[in-house]
Amino acid sequence: MARRKKAAVVGRKRGPPAAPLSPASSEDEAPEEVSFGAAREAAEAERKLEGEAAQRHRELLKEKRRRRQELFAEQKRRKLLPEAVLQELTAAPPARPEGQAAAADPGKHRGGRAVKQGQGQVQKRVKKHKGRKGARPQGNYTAVRLKDESLTGLHQQLAKDFLNTQLYGPDTNRAQANEFFSLENKKDPVKKAAVQFVDKSWGQEKKLKAIRFKKRWLSTQMKNGI
Amino acid sequence: MGEFEVHRVRFFGLVPAGVRCLACQPRGGRLALARTDGAVEVYNFAANYFQEKVIPGHEGRSVEALCWAAGDRLFGAGLGGEITEYDLSRLCVARSVDGGGGPIWSMAANGSGTQLAIGCEDGSVKLFQVVPGGIQFERNLDRRKGRILCLSWHPSDTHIAAGSIDILRVFDVSSGQTVQRIMVNYHVHKVKRECIVWSIAFLSSGTVVTSDSFGRVQFWDWERGTLLESHTVSTSAALSLSVSEKEDSIVVGTSTGATYQFQLLPVKMGSLEKRWVRTKPFQHHTHDVRAVAHSSTALISGGLDAQLVIRPLMEKMQKKSYEAALRKFTFPHRRLVSCARKARLLLFQFSQHLELWRLGSTNETGKDGEVLPLCRMPEHLVQLKSKGPEHIYCSCVSPCGSWVAYSTASRFHLYRVQYEGDSVSVKKVPKVPKLLLPAYQLQFSAESGSLFVASARGSVHVLQLAELGGCKHLHTFRPPSGCPEAVYLLAVSADGHWLAAVSGDWAIHIYNLKCFKHHCTVPTYDCAVTALAIHPVTNNLVITYSDQQLFEFSIPEKQYTAWSRTVQNHGLHKAWLERDSPITHITFNPKNPSHILLHDIYMFCILDKSLVSLCPLPDNSALLMNQSTLKQLPETARQRQLHAFKICKKFQPLLFADLLDENCLVMVERPIMDFKTQLPLPIQQKKFGT
Repeated sequence: MARRKKAAVVGRKRGPPAAPLSPASSEDEAPEEVSFGAAREAAEAERKLEGEAAQRHRELLKEKRRRRQELFAEQKRRKLLPEAVLQELTAAPPARPEGQAAAADPGKHRGGRAVKQGQGQVQKRVKKHKGRKGARPQGNYTAVRLKDESLTGLHQQLAKDFLNTQLYGPDTNRAQANEFFSLENKKDPVKKAAVQFVDKSWGQEKKLKAIRFKKRWLSTQMKNGI
Repeated sequence: MGEFEVHRVRFFGLVPAGVRCLACQPRGGRLALARTDGAVEVYNFAANYFQEKVIPGHEGRSVEALCWAAGDRLFGAGLGGEITEYDLSRLCVARSVDGGGGPIWSMAANGSGTQLAIGCEDGSVKLFQVVPGGIQFERNLDRRKGRILCLSWHPSDTHIAAGSIDILRVFDVSSGQTVQRIMVNYHVHKVKRECIVWSIAFLSSGTVVTSDSFGRVQFWDWERGTLLESHTVSTSAALSLSVSEKEDSIVVGTSTGATYQFQLLPVKMGSLEKRWVRTKPFQHHTHDVRAVAHSSTALISGGLDAQLVIRPLMEKMQKKSYEAALRKFTFPHRRLVSCARKARLLLFQFSQHLELWRLGSTNETGKDGEVLPLCRMPEHLVQLKSKGPEHIYCSCVSPCGSWVAYSTASRFHLYRVQYEGDSVSVKKVPKVPKLLLPAYQLQFSAESGSLFVASARGSVHVLQLAELGGCKHLHTFRPPSGCPEAVYLLAVSADGHWLAAVSGDWAIHIYNLKCFKHHCTVPTYDCAVTALAIHPVTNNLVITYSDQQLFEFSIPEKQYTAWSRTVQNHGLHKAWLERDSPITHITFNPKNPSHILLHDIYMFCILDKSLVSLCPLPDNSALLMNQSTLKQLPETARQRQLHAFKICKKFQPLLFADLLDENCLVMVERPIMDFKTQLPLPIQQKKFGT
């Protein structure tokens, strides 16, 4: 019963694929006569194919899972690695504790980013660290002496922050310079545009930045074009 | 007068620092002012509000409170936690003492000027004794939680009122205990903000006046702990207040830039009962008014827009004269630009760096008022950053453009600048002679062979400069009868024969450079000297004073010239004497010996001495600024109206003007709107229809 059903299923399956192969034959004709033995062999072949496909699918999933597990294991291992590298490095150069602390955190982040890319070379990362340490700090690091970072500096900073929040914090009703100085232009009997448009010297840095960006963009476009 | 090609320079990016503290000297007629960059200035009221002393700032120094004590001594305290005493003769910090309580928010001197009270970050009020050599810690008053933002002594010196966050406290000075604690944070709207008491004053009647961050000015009875009156002056914070000596007038400054006057007025005509009434509103500033002061005749306010505004009160003035005019000061009363005439270079002095620019050039000519196109743009050649946190006192560039010198409080730098075609190289001169620093003024001689350094105690050092880049100390000039103050202005003659120096006591000494001896002293005048220069041909010294008087002194003859006597006998025009800003630079035209060129912030003037013989100087009925009318008159009519003062008001505000060659002028302007973007943000104003 099951075999017949399967044969019927197989037959039906074979139906649609057959139609595109022989578009000229019309649906009014009787179905083909197939011998039982041939049908059974065909069914077995199909089953085998399907089984193989399913197995391959399972294998693929297994492979994926395995790879993911490996990845996590690697990440876990790699998180510890930068510390070791830094420990080696702290032994060598002169004492710059602040600079080290500042470089340690970005070091971790850099390491993390490298891992996410899926590259697994330790040597490359070490070189990256060493390269960064050798070159003068780019980005947002400053090397400061401990002598300067004293307690009075901290108190002074807290006091300044308090003053800033009280005078320029979120509750205060501060306006941008352009808004504030454009009020006169707008209330004039002869209305004028806002100051940033009327006065040519406003926003010089933004204009310069825009010019430089345009130059760079155009040059990249030319390069890509070529 | 002729036609001039004018280089109109507007690329001097000066951003003056905002005014943070003001302190009126109790019986001296002086005003001390502190800026947000730590600079301290002293204005002399009697000398027409001239900025007579400037102590440049320091990167780490913030001044939150300034006060006069023991007569002439000026003390400042800031968020660095130190109380500094300023030496006003040597224009530097005399000594500083650590307060011991963290950042200091406020400081006040008692009525007799013998004690200083400071309010600290940790909530303590500390008392210091003012002793001849400095100050000495006396004791702490009762310490509670909450930073002390403002302090005021009771006129009898028995109690101190201190304002904090949400609270106002009164201390008994003898016992040191807190005798009253008043909560000030009740308010109309249920806002979750805390109420900051920004400033406080203690009146002799026992009333405490506070201004807080809700824009209210409140009057409290401290003994009963009750609120007597409350006035809401603004929707934004009321940042500062000051009471007059007679305690009948209070000036309040707010965050929006408005200042208000409160007066104690009788309720009805002739009634004995008096009440505080808000009388006059003023809107002189665009940014926060963080400092106000009340002198006996004027309301003084200083805002973060770098303006100092002095509003004399009409009821205190005898008659309506220039004395009662509103005075506004934004720019300093000294030169910040030096010019190398032959090389066409300008040196701009900022607080922590110098910029050397070369002027552009044009090949075209045009008519009066036309703008000519440049064939070469002005170039920024060199930027010299001063090392260290100290700000620059003075700077100078030599006339040939190859030497640049500047001085800070503890260092003196001399550089050699070399031009090879289009490139510029700057080399520091290594072995500079050790001088007593700081230098207050620097001046190169006409052929760039010597450098004159103005120093403390009236002395001027002469340094010889060698072509190869060396520097040697030649001589030091000292005034014959000693002088405690520092020299702040120098002038050298074109032939290198004479040197004139003005010190802080306003005495002008003239020295002979050929035999290194003191030549003579100009007769003293009771006003500050604002500019001086020696004529290249006649060796006459032209002097301008802060009350706008003009003198010409002949150095070889050791007396005033005939022209100067004529001008003094005739008297200067009223419009000339009623100018707001002092003359900061005098220069001459070598091709035309009878011309004197001078400028102040709002005008540029060419004085033609030769016209005196043809027609008299303008008297008060004639128009002083008559250049535009003269242009329209025919030649014959013009002769009748002509006078010696040719004034041009086209270029304002003018920081520097000089003659480059025969018919070429350079004018350095700094339009006020150009630096307004770089100031801290102002409060939003809602105007109907925008």
